[in-house]
Amino acid sequence: MGAVLAMNVIRQSALVLAALGLMSCGPLGQGGIAAQLATAASTLAGRTPVAVPPPPLATEEQIAANPGQFVRVNFRDLGRWDTMVVAGTNGPRETWIGSANLSVTTENGIVVATRGMPRDLMGAETAQTWAAIRAGGGTAERRHDFLDNLDQISERLLQCSIASMGPDPFERGEVTQNTTRFEEKCVSDQLQFTNVYWVNQQGQVVRSLQAVSPDAGYLQIDVF
Amino acid sequence: MTKARFATTSVIALMAGIAAQAQQSDLNYGFNGMPGMIDMPTAQSPAEGTLAGSLAYQEGYFRATFTYQLTDRATLAARYSVVDLYGNPTSTILDGEFERSFDLHYRLLDESAYLPALAFGLRDVFTPGRFASEYVVATKTIGDNLTVTAGLGWGAMATRDGFDNPLSGLGARPVFDDADPEGQLASDYWFRGDAAAFGGLTYQINDRWGVVAEYATIAYPEQPFSPALETDTPYNLGVTYRPNDSVQLSFASLSGRSVGVSGTFSLNANNRPGRSGSETAPTPVKVRDVQAAQSWNRATEPGLRAATAQLLQMEGQTLTGLEMTDTTVRVRYVNGRYRSQAQAMGRVARLLTQVMPDSIDTFILEPEARGIGLSAVTIARSDIERLENRPAAAETLLASTGFGDAGPADSLADARPEQDAFQWGFGPYLTINPFGGDGSIAVSAGLSLRGVYQITPQLIASGTILQSVLKADKRDPAPDSTPDIQNVRTDSQFYGDDGVPVLQTLTLNHYGRPGTDLYSRVSLGYLESMFGGLSSEVLWKPADSAFGLGVELNYVAQRDTDMLLGFDEYDYDVLTGHLSAYYDLGNGYHTQLDVGRYLAGDWGATLSIDREYDNGIRVGAYVTQTDISYEDFGDGSYNKGVRVSIPQDFFSGGTSRGTYATQIRTRSGDGGARLSVDGRLYDVVRDAHEADLTDTWGRFWR
Repeated sequence: MGAVLAMNVIRQSALVLAALGLMSCGPLGQGGIAAQLATAASTLAGRTPVAVPPPPLATEEQIAANPGQFVRVNFRDLGRWDTMVVAGTNGPRETWIGSANLSVTTENGIVVATRGMPRDLMGAETAQTWAAIRAGGGTAERRHDFLDNLDQISERLLQCSIASMGPDPFERGEVTQNTTRFEEKCVSDQLQFTNVYWVNQQGQVVRSLQAVSPDAGYLQIDVF
Repeated sequence: MTKARFATTSVIALMAGIAAQAQQSDLNYGFNGMPGMIDMPTAQSPAEGTLAGSLAYQEGYFRATFTYQLTDRATLAARYSVVDLYGNPTSTILDGEFERSFDLHYRLLDESAYLPALAFGLRDVFTPGRFASEYVVATKTIGDNLTVTAGLGWGAMATRDGFDNPLSGLGARPVFDDADPEGQLASDYWFRGDAAAFGGLTYQINDRWGVVAEYATIAYPEQPFSPALETDTPYNLGVTYRPNDSVQLSFASLSGRSVGVSGTFSLNANNRPGRSGSETAPTPVKVRDVQAAQSWNRATEPGLRAATAQLLQMEGQTLTGLEMTDTTVRVRYVNGRYRSQAQAMGRVARLLTQVMPDSIDTFILEPEARGIGLSAVTIARSDIERLENRPAAAETLLASTGFGDAGPADSLADARPEQDAFQWGFGPYLTINPFGGDGSIAVSAGLSLRGVYQITPQLIASGTILQSVLKADKRDPAPDSTPDIQNVRTDSQFYGDDGVPVLQTLTLNHYGRPGTDLYSRVSLGYLESMFGGLSSEVLWKPADSAFGLGVELNYVAQRDTDMLLGFDEYDYDVLTGHLSAYYDLGNGYHTQLDVGRYLAGDWGATLSIDREYDNGIRVGAYVTQTDISYEDFGDGSYNKGVRVSIPQDFFSGGTSRGTYATQIRTRSGDGGARLSVDGRLYDVVRDAHEADLTDTWGRFWR
């Protein structure tokens, strides 16, 4: 009981510290991405690049009050979850980071890259999947790049079929999300997985369960 | 509630099956560290890229073997043994003789539905007589758990129940003569003399436990310089235990007379436990949101330099110089964190997108080591922006990346961090010195204190003091078997054995860039434990070339055995040096040829070939032949050995530039010995050049 409480306190403290950008990361005390971004930002603002301004605190209220600013990612196989904010935008793609210094990049809510996991998705093309979801179902071809054990890029071409499973509302916080559930079954000769997307009436993926790689497992992503 | 919803889908598993990489969990390693039963071989072989270390002990016989699966079919092994031998006459026993041996095993045919796998092998190929044996063996798997093996052995493997050689065309096996020089290919022995038939079974009871039984034809006869082991029966029986895929422990009853234990630990170079790594995510690319301006406000440069330095430091990269024009930035830095220079480069490039003015559209990245620029890698900023997280990003970027010589240092604005010129540290050390001319192996362990004083970035004074905690027993020098040759290595066991602090090194080192594609090194002082003097080197190595050429010239004198400052004890000095050619052959092979004069004044050449995996594992072999005659050279008549190096990040997945490395060599006399000087140029520059960068370019975007 006491141990559980202590764990929670540690987790919360870690989250707060990380949110404040004060957590030193790694054995060498390297700065996290948040610190690097803050340094860069303060430089461009003409200030001395030493102070690290605190990024927004991720309380439940703030998450609810800032739609589109936060995602919560459950790294199922790593046994951890993280509340993440956008650290970079490149065209339609957004890279999200959190306190654990893992990053997830999404395009229209579909995962196109991860960094910091045991077998990262180095890059992916998922435009056809998004088009099929918009069309209410269909087929798509995906290309996924992984970094292999010899530091080479290993590509997988996946054939996917996307189908609507019909309305599937769920409750999050105290709000009912009226969503349609889509399942995407993908196969290649060496890999197969099924992703699930909950798409709201505005056509946004608000929750999903997406595969990264056999070593990194699935991510459950909640978009607020 | 939401959990339940996911539970219905989380049963969907990711499937990744690559049949070729399936674990061969039933492969059994014998007591000599090679695929086998106990003493006798099987026809199987581990998966390509397997490295195994094996220790086996029975009374009077200890073996430590390193095994490497070079190709799908070829298995190589190098071994140190400590063994009691019969003397001459055999009523005397030579206790604890130190032996080195090399084995070769080759699988000729794969097992099929009806036919067994077939292999041949040679044990101890460089040492005629003592343990040398050859075999042809077949192994068939029956069901999932049983293997049956039968074979023919020659040499030591035909010392029981031998019969006339079925290979009747081959002549008699020569009688072993201890006076013969060791270390020659014993080809006149191979597959000659009597043969004998051996066989056995292995049965895997469950995932962890197995049993082994064999009929062995190694009888350990009582003859001079053969192992003094006694046998009652030809039957060896054993039990194997595998707690996981990489460990095998064996317990065996040997010939009814003794028991033995062995442990084999294996890894596969193609199968990295650290997978693709666990280092933290990089900072993402910041894309310029307007059409690039033509120039930028130069007044902001000091601030930009400070910010760049600070950002790079967070990634373990130390900015040392920066040059900015309207459209380019040239960044010189020291990679202090990542094994892969390509990965360090990818991190630096992404950080530059965060701070560099929009008009800057070209990044020139110059890794530095020992104060000198190693290469210049030119990358378009627009490529970084366009390719981030896209499929084939690494390949596409590589195609448009330029590799060239580092630019001039004097046009860089100095950005070196303020730090104390003097730095020091201490830690433990362990050395295992198998040089001893009398066949002994010397182990030393203790504390090492190191100090470094940086006079300029290129000129560094450094020293190391060792305090051994294992005081060596000061044996009298063994009779010098090669009195005509200076004891440049065979006396190494007498160095620093007094148990007092010794000066390992004290040097002044200068590194420079005398011209395009040229690198220089001058080292002065106490260069290594046995020699001091002057060592100089020039290397020509274009950044985009797979070929390099170097010249090294040293004038050194032999140090006193007390390892203090004197050079009086031996009164020996020598001019030594080499012309060296380095070539990256591609496909993971790398070669080096050194031709020149060695420490004992002998002339000759060393050829090295290394199998280098892109993830940093290197397994190599080298051979040296000099003009010293076999009579003078004695045992190990040409100097040869194998070496292995495994990067630390292979295991941990963390970030490290360190490696674990070791080498095993045949007994080396004083011929073919090279000065052991720190920081040879090729090793300093190679990982920042195109060939090595390309090997790990997949990590650029990691």
